[in-house]
Amino acid sequence: MPVSGVVISCLVGCSEAVSGRIAAFDGVEVHGVLPDNQIVAVIEADTVDAEVKLVSQLHEVEDVVSVRLAYHNFEDL
Amino acid sequence: MALSRREFLKASAAAVAFAAAGASVLNPKVSEAGDAGIKWGKAPCRFCGTGCGVLVGVKGGKIVATKGDPAAPVNRGLNCIKGYFLSKVLYGKDRLTKPLIRKGDKMVEASWDEAMTLIASKFKESIAKHGPDSVAMYGSGQWTVFEGYAALKLFKGGIGTNNIEPNARLCMASAVTGFMTTFASDEPMGCYDDLDLGDTYFLWGANMAECHPVLFSRMIDNRLKNPDVRIIDFGTRRTRTSQMADQYVRFNPQTDLALLNAIAHVIIKEKLYDEKFIKKHVVFKKGKENIGYGLEDKFKFTDDPKPISFDDYKKFLEKYTPEYASKLSGVPAAKIVELARLYADKKRKVNSLWTMGFNQHVRGTWVNNLVYNVHLLTGKISRPGENPMSLTGQPSACGTAREVGTFTHRLPADMVVTNPEHRAKAAEIWGIDVKRIPDKPTYNATEMFRALDRGDIKVLWSQVTNPFQSLPHLNRYRKGARKGDGRFVIVSDIYPTKSTEVADVILPSASWVEKEGFFGNAERRGQQWFKMVDAPGEAKSDLWQTMELARRLGHGNLFPYKYAEKEIFEEYRKFTVGGKDLAPYEAYVKARGLRWPVVNGKETLWRYAEGHDPYVKAGEGVKFYKNKKDDGRAVIWARPYEPAAESPDKQYPFWLCTGRVLEHWHTGTMTGRVPEIKRAYPAAVCEMHPDDAKRMGIKNLQKVKITSRRGTIILPVDLNGRGKAEKGNIFVAFFDETKLINELCIDAYCPISGEPDYKKCAVKVEKA
Repeated sequence: MPVSGVVISCLVGCSEAVSGRIAAFDGVEVHGVLPDNQIVAVIEADTVDAEVKLVSQLHEVEDVVSVRLAYHNFEDL
Repeated sequence: MALSRREFLKASAAAVAFAAAGASVLNPKVSEAGDAGIKWGKAPCRFCGTGCGVLVGVKGGKIVATKGDPAAPVNRGLNCIKGYFLSKVLYGKDRLTKPLIRKGDKMVEASWDEAMTLIASKFKESIAKHGPDSVAMYGSGQWTVFEGYAALKLFKGGIGTNNIEPNARLCMASAVTGFMTTFASDEPMGCYDDLDLGDTYFLWGANMAECHPVLFSRMIDNRLKNPDVRIIDFGTRRTRTSQMADQYVRFNPQTDLALLNAIAHVIIKEKLYDEKFIKKHVVFKKGKENIGYGLEDKFKFTDDPKPISFDDYKKFLEKYTPEYASKLSGVPAAKIVELARLYADKKRKVNSLWTMGFNQHVRGTWVNNLVYNVHLLTGKISRPGENPMSLTGQPSACGTAREVGTFTHRLPADMVVTNPEHRAKAAEIWGIDVKRIPDKPTYNATEMFRALDRGDIKVLWSQVTNPFQSLPHLNRYRKGARKGDGRFVIVSDIYPTKSTEVADVILPSASWVEKEGFFGNAERRGQQWFKMVDAPGEAKSDLWQTMELARRLGHGNLFPYKYAEKEIFEEYRKFTVGGKDLAPYEAYVKARGLRWPVVNGKETLWRYAEGHDPYVKAGEGVKFYKNKKDDGRAVIWARPYEPAAESPDKQYPFWLCTGRVLEHWHTGTMTGRVPEIKRAYPAAVCEMHPDDAKRMGIKNLQKVKITSRRGTIILPVDLNGRGKAEKGNIFVAFFDETKLINELCIDAYCPISGEPDYKKCAVKVEKA
C-alpha cells in the first residue's frame, strides 16, 4: 500500500476548519496544523490511483489552495 | 513497543512533509528508519517545464519512493499531484521491452540488429532515390539535451537535411519567435524568483493552478505573505486559476490582440509610459502582416519588417480605444482602462505570465510581441520582481528543443541555418564540410506531416512524443502515415500509443532515470541526473538509438565518444560560450541546476540587467545586447488585431478550445496507464456553459455530438466540472486516447512561428 506525506495550503485563517473537513476522508490522517495556514497530512490508499483520487478530492475541499506532495513511498507495490 | 515498517513509513512521510512545510521534525530517528535501505539520487521531474527537483529512492534495483527535493530552489521540497505518477512512469504493465516490426497487420518481436538493419536500409533507400529531404526526425521537448543534440547533429551535419522538428513547435514556437523578434534572443529575461518578489501578476491564457501548480503555489504563497499582491486572470474559460485570482477578466477568443493594444493605447494616451526607458532601450517596427493562417501547403511571406517612429506607433494605436477593444473582446472599457493603469503603476512590480493561450494562436508571435510592448513601454522588464515570462509545458522544451535548436531552421544557441557564419561555426565544431549543412529550412511540424501525407517525406522517425494523437486535423495525418508507397514510420517510445499504432517499427526506449540525462526548464535552469535503475527488457535510450543509426549510415565519425553524455554536453557547450554560456558538466552534477548564462561559476537570475547579467556593462542599467542590429535595443512591434482562422457561424456556432487538466499530462501516455474506471479524472468530457445547455435541452452528463468541418466526436457534457466554459464556448482536454478531440481542430497556425492554434475553431453541438 503506498504512503504519501502532503502539505495542504489553506486560505488565511482557514486551516483549522479545513483540517476538520479533511479528517473525514478515509485514508487521510492529519498530522499537524501549522501556524502559517498549512496542514501536514499522510495519505494511505490501496493503489497510487486511489491516492491520486483522494488528493484530487482534497483539492476540491472548501478553502484549500493547494495540495503538494513531499514524500511518496510505494515499495510494496 | 516496536514500530512496524508501515508505521515507520508513515512517520517518514509526515516528517518529510513537516520539513518541506518549514516546520521542525518531531522525531527524526523514526523518520530515518523509514528510509532504511533506500539510496537517494537527484533528478528533475519527468513531467512539465517547471523543472521541480525530485529525490528518487532506489532499493533492490527498483524505484520505491520519491521526495520533493528540499535542496531544489524551484520547488523547495514539494511536488504537485503529478509527483504521484513518477512512481508509475516506468512501471506500467504494458511497457515496451523489445523492438517490434510490422508484418502485415501484426507487430512482431525482433532483435535490435534486425530492427536497426531495416531502419538503416529504409533511410539509405529513400536518400538514394529521393534525396536527404525525404527522411525526417520528429522529436520532443522531452528529449534530454544529449538526445536532441545527437539527432540534430546526425540530420543537419551527417545526413544533410534540415528535416528535424520537435513537438515543441506545437507548444513553444510562438514564444520563441516572440523572443527572437523582440529581443533577438530566445528565452526569458526573468526567472521564478519574480513569483516571490513581484506584487502584480497578469495571467494570459494560462491555467497555472492546474498546469503549473508549483509555480502557482509560489505566487499564492507570496500573496499569503503580502496582502497587496494582485493576480488578474485574463481568460476565455473560468478555471481553478480564475477562482483563486483577485480578478477574472473574461474575453472573447482571439481578442487578446485588441486588448493588449488597448492597454498600450491607454498607457500612451495617459502618458503613463517611461519615456527615458523608451528613448534608451527601444526601437519601433511594423511588418509581416499579409501572412494568412498557414492553411495552404508551402506558404511564403510577401513582405518584410520595416522600422517606424514612436509617433507612427502612437498613430497605429489610435484605433485601439478601450471602447473599440471592448466591442471586440466583451471586456468593459472602464476595466481595460483600470488594468492599463495597474500595468503602468510605478509603485507596482508587474509580471505577465502566459502559456498555450498565447502560443497556440494563429497570431501567436504577434500576441507575444504585444505583451512585451506593454512591459517595454512601462520599463517593467529585466528587473527583479517584474518581468514578462512565458511558461513551458515540457521538461526540456527550453533546454533541448529551443536551446539545442532541434527545429528545421535552427542550430544550437540561437543560431540559424540561413546564416553562413552560423553554419560555419557549427561545421567547425562538428568537424565537417560546411556545405553539408543545408542553408534553407524545410518543414515546420505541421508541414512535416503534410509532407508525409503528400509523399514528399518517405521515412519519418518519431522519438519521445505522440504526434498521431497530438497533431491538429489528426485524421489527415493518421491516414497519411499509412498510405504506403514507400512511406515508413518509426516510433520510439516507452508505451504503446496512438503513434505506435501507425508505426512500421516500434523501438522500446529507456526513460527518465533509466539513463543519464539533462533537462533545461523555463527559467533557463539546466539540471543533470545520473542513471539510477536499468531499463526493462531490451529498452535502450534514444541517444543510443540515434547514434546506432548514424553508425549504420556511415556517420559514426560524428559520434566518437567514450562517455557520450558528458562529451556531447561539453561539445554542445562550445556553441554557448559568449552568450548563453552553460557551465562545465561537472558543475551540474553538483548543483541543483544553474540558470544560464553561467560565467565564472555564477548563474544569472535576470538577463539584460546590470549587476545581474555579466554581459551588461557598468552604467548601462538595462541592455538588450543580443539585438545587435538595433544597437542593443528591444523592438516594440505594431501588430494589429486580426480574427481567428475559423470563427463560429450559423452552421458551427460554438468555439472549441482544447487543453490539459491537473491529473493528466499531455496525451496521457504516462499518466493514463490504468483502467479508465480507476482514474481520478477518467475520460474526456465536454465542458459547456449551463445556459447554453439549458437552451438546447441538454442535461449534465448527457452525451452530445460535437462536429467541426474536420470530424465528429461524442462526449458527455460536464456542467459542474472544475473548469467552466463561457457562453458560446466548449472545452475538451486532449489526454484521452479513446476520444481524439484533435481530429476536430483546424490545422491553421501562426505563419511566423508555425505553431498551430488548438484553442480556436468552430463546432456545432447536438444531442447524441
